[in-house]
Amino acid sequence: MLEQLTDWLSRSDASAFLSDTTLLQTWLIIPISQTIHILAVAVVMISIGVLNLRLLGVAASHQSFARLTRQLTPWIWSALAVLLLTGVVQTIAEPSRELLNSTFQLKIALLVVAVAVTISYRVTTTRNPNYWNVSPGRRRAGHILAGMSLVLWLGILSAGRLIAYFGAFEPKG
Amino acid sequence: MGIVDFLNWLNDTTFAESIRDSVWLFPTFETIHVAAIVLVAGSIAGLDLRLAGLMARDRPVTEIANEMLPWTWAAFVVATIFGFLLFASKPMVYLAMAFFDAKLILIVLAGLNMLLFQQITWKSVGRWDRAVLPPVAVRLAAGLSLAFWISVVICGRFIGFV
Repeated sequence: MLEQLTDWLSRSDASAFLSDTTLLQTWLIIPISQTIHILAVAVVMISIGVLNLRLLGVAASHQSFARLTRQLTPWIWSALAVLLLTGVVQTIAEPSRELLNSTFQLKIALLVVAVAVTISYRVTTTRNPNYWNVSPGRRRAGHILAGMSLVLWLGILSAGRLIAYFGAFEPKG
Repeated sequence: MGIVDFLNWLNDTTFAESIRDSVWLFPTFETIHVAAIVLVAGSIAGLDLRLAGLMARDRPVTEIANEMLPWTWAAFVVATIFGFLLFASKPMVYLAMAFFDAKLILIVLAGLNMLLFQQITWKSVGRWDRAVLPPVAVRLAAGLSLAFWISVVICGRFIGFV
């Protein structure tokens, strides 16, 4: 199915337009899209970093985790929307470079889990601002989740950069 | 020994050669460099947006600065070290790239802007720490800083395309 989608996208007019490197205007689309992508990654990573270090209890202790979550999650969602948009542009331009690349596939799998963790921060602290602080067990669970989230997002960023180097699809035969 | 001699010497070291020849050293260094750069840009933007009165207006500027600046400095050190390792792989090639030179100049300008802000404007922070909209000199410095760092990221990304 992924092959069919890739095939269909590669034949589309949109892909031909976005990957046309003979004109400066269209050649510029990909580097500009990637630059915006990186700036949005900056917003996500610093927000995720501050949030998780707070949950681990090592930073921003003057603010409660619930309050930080309320302040930072809108930035994370907005940046993720920009990331999706620019990511889609890059994927349409070079469908097989992305969709059939195993590093890209790993990135998306990690992203799904990381987003679920981020949603859980918002849901739990909306229900109870002290959710991650009600018992030693809950605190420990929070620390594990925060550590996991940091590793996941670093993994997503790394996989994103490494698509250019590893995991390219090689047609058999 | 001039700068060109030094760069040619650097280029010929086994150290530079091993980065050039390895399949994974350059991508690994680049990944660490990018991870550090996004934290530099993100943390600076976090403080600048507050200084510009566009974000977290209900929180004191000093509180945001304490929250963001440790990230900025730690990440800047990492970005510089790994940026140098990437540069060392092909020093003369990078030096000849307009985007690379522009990136270095922009980092220096961002540093000068920060130095002026810290040495002059920041002295009066007590008076506008809780201001929803800090004074115009503060907002100007914040706007310049954002413009410089966004330009650094643009140049950095374009290095890979030319």
